[in-house]
Amino acid sequence: MANEVKFDTREEVDFAIIGSGSAGGILAKELSTAGFKVVVLEQGPYRKASDFNHDELSVFVRGELLGGHNDVHGQTFRQTENDIADRPDVQPARYARNVGGSSVHFTANFWRLRPVDFKERSLLGPIAGTNFADWPITYEELEPYYTKVDWEIGVSGEPGPFDAPRSKPFPMPPMPIKSSGVLMERAAKKLGLHAQPEPHAILSQPHNGRAGCISCGYCMYYGCEAGAKSSTLAAMIPLAEASGNCEIRPDSTVIRIDTNDQGRASQVVYLDAAGTEQAQKAKAVVLSANGAESARLLLMSASPQHPDGLANSSGFVGRNLMHNAHSAVNGVFEYPLNDYKGVQVSRIIHDFYETDEQRGFYGGGGIDARPLFSATPIFHVLAGRDPNVPRWGKQFKETMAHDFTRQMSVVGSTTSLALDSNNITLDPESKDAWGRPAIRETYMDHPDDLAMAGFLEDRAAEILDAAGAVKSWRRGIHPTNGGEHLLGTCRMGDDPASSVVDSKHRSHDVPNLFVCDGSSMVTSGRGQPTMTIMALAFRAADHIKAAAGNGDI
Amino acid sequence: MKNIGKLSRRHFLQSTGSLTGAAYFRLLGPGIVAITQAACSAKEAQAAFKVLTASEASDFAAIAARIMPTTDTPGATEAGVVYFFDNAFAAEMSTELSDAREGLAKFNAALDKAHPDNAGFDTLSEDAQDAFLKTQQTGYFFNLSWAMTMFGFFSMEKYGGNKDQLGWDLIGFEGSHGAWQYPFGHYDAEVHAETKHGE
Repeated sequence: MANEVKFDTREEVDFAIIGSGSAGGILAKELSTAGFKVVVLEQGPYRKASDFNHDELSVFVRGELLGGHNDVHGQTFRQTENDIADRPDVQPARYARNVGGSSVHFTANFWRLRPVDFKERSLLGPIAGTNFADWPITYEELEPYYTKVDWEIGVSGEPGPFDAPRSKPFPMPPMPIKSSGVLMERAAKKLGLHAQPEPHAILSQPHNGRAGCISCGYCMYYGCEAGAKSSTLAAMIPLAEASGNCEIRPDSTVIRIDTNDQGRASQVVYLDAAGTEQAQKAKAVVLSANGAESARLLLMSASPQHPDGLANSSGFVGRNLMHNAHSAVNGVFEYPLNDYKGVQVSRIIHDFYETDEQRGFYGGGGIDARPLFSATPIFHVLAGRDPNVPRWGKQFKETMAHDFTRQMSVVGSTTSLALDSNNITLDPESKDAWGRPAIRETYMDHPDDLAMAGFLEDRAAEILDAAGAVKSWRRGIHPTNGGEHLLGTCRMGDDPASSVVDSKHRSHDVPNLFVCDGSSMVTSGRGQPTMTIMALAFRAADHIKAAAGNGDI
Repeated sequence: MKNIGKLSRRHFLQSTGSLTGAAYFRLLGPGIVAITQAACSAKEAQAAFKVLTASEASDFAAIAARIMPTTDTPGATEAGVVYFFDNAFAAEMSTELSDAREGLAKFNAALDKAHPDNAGFDTLSEDAQDAFLKTQQTGYFFNLSWAMTMFGFFSMEKYGGNKDQLGWDLIGFEGSHGAWQYPFGHYDAEVHAETKHGE
């Protein structure tokens, strides 16, 4: 690249950004194109679109984009602090390790939050034993940035009947309807529900110099070789690099943020690709490493001045982890859907988005129809095949041969309540391959979250029935053992006693440290958080640019 | 690496938190999740095995052939799944090989008890093989054989099984090659046709 720039680690750049994912990639582009000198430290490699493949054994089984499995990362999991954490084979907190972060491998379902998500605590009142709270910002304040995501990142869609107000239309039409969407739409009509097109961070047509989707079917868990998925790798990183002000430094594993005598962040200490310790000096640090890694790094950056971890005078770093709960009901139909082709989801139902006190519990959610377990063969045989059929032999084989193309899942995604007891801490014993204390996740879904997942599972069963499924089965509702949605662990708020960053993502404790990613979210939304993480990043960038312009970083 | 033995439907179903793949592999050991990318050179029947002896290979091939049997359509035999076993045991699953051999020895000891005059699992009738397998279908060895049969049958041909992509053909999965045009299936075809006529 003509504008490729390298900074010396001893040169004090304006911003060191930790993480290049949904938030970090946007902040890198916004700050560098505004003229600031930026170094982005990314722990994973720099994969390009041409590096992505459809190899299920490598990507799905070996965890190629996750940076391998838990023998490398050492994460541990327990349900409550009274349990002994075990070290499962797959990481409980899962995210892609590469430039672009998890925006590279996510499914690209892309919902805005609604006004109610920001003020639900005021509307519904407190929920005992939880940290249920209002956001310090409103939907109206975030709306311009949702619109910015629509147009700059690239979102396909069409407004639905319950959508939040938008200041501009979608920049491009929704992805075409699939058989799963047709079936769910038919069922919705019968049941008096409203199926609407799914918004995607996937280009339905060329946009901003990028190509449109080729419907290869490998959205969920895979990188997009066409660059049509609106990852920050595809949409933001090239602009950041073209500014001549931004160096993306892959294979850089951060181990500490150092602070000086004034209590300000002074440098970011990391291991380079060779494992050699380096330290990048910066005027300010932006932490966008995701809700698990950002919390770990702040806790790892404890010092005599900050004994409980950096930016953690509230004790809220790592707390309030929210994954969103899920349900899935599988159905098989008379004729082939071939739903493994194309994007996962083409229709969603948002009739149950808002909390309905008549249900007897807090929460809301969304429903979608998608191949899920019948998108690829190995996933199907391991997790999606008919459980009422033996798992080997002639009947097994015939069932696989019949069901794979005829199957779909109706999936529910729900709210998660913020709890002290659901958190990220440093494991006292387990280490990752770089010698860092491993992420220890403690998590037990709140009963209301499981109740909401169960409610949506019941609705999904009705939908499959109304859609004419010849057979269907439930997966059942169980407490989770990890997740990809890593939300709430450095929440934003006006009160420094109960939040980590202020409404502009500046940490309450360290004036030149900003935290912006899924950890900023105060509530979980209804299950598709990336759109909101990206909108928050655009908004944070505006505030950080303004502050830097005033010499206030 | 015994955790492969925990691989079961029950465990998969308990992993409900995630709607992506990784959750379903939390009980698989690094051996099985790190199966080699080594290119297959042993797809032809006469090709030599890298680590399996001829007798081990025929046992594994016969077990795989009952898990994914040949019927009026091809099964594990035609897909060359045993070459996937051999490739995997020769490389990143090499740590699994001694446990697998131990498992196979126990399997054969049980077989000798059930059929004192047998000349090998592969020589039994299909019905006798199935009946015996039903007595062995839990535990480490069967689960390992099952998982490797699935991975061999449904992973890319370069790993040694799924010869000529017939594993994918069996289930109607038209490969991983890339771009598709709407409509994809029966139900959206009706809608896309209506839309076209309406335009």
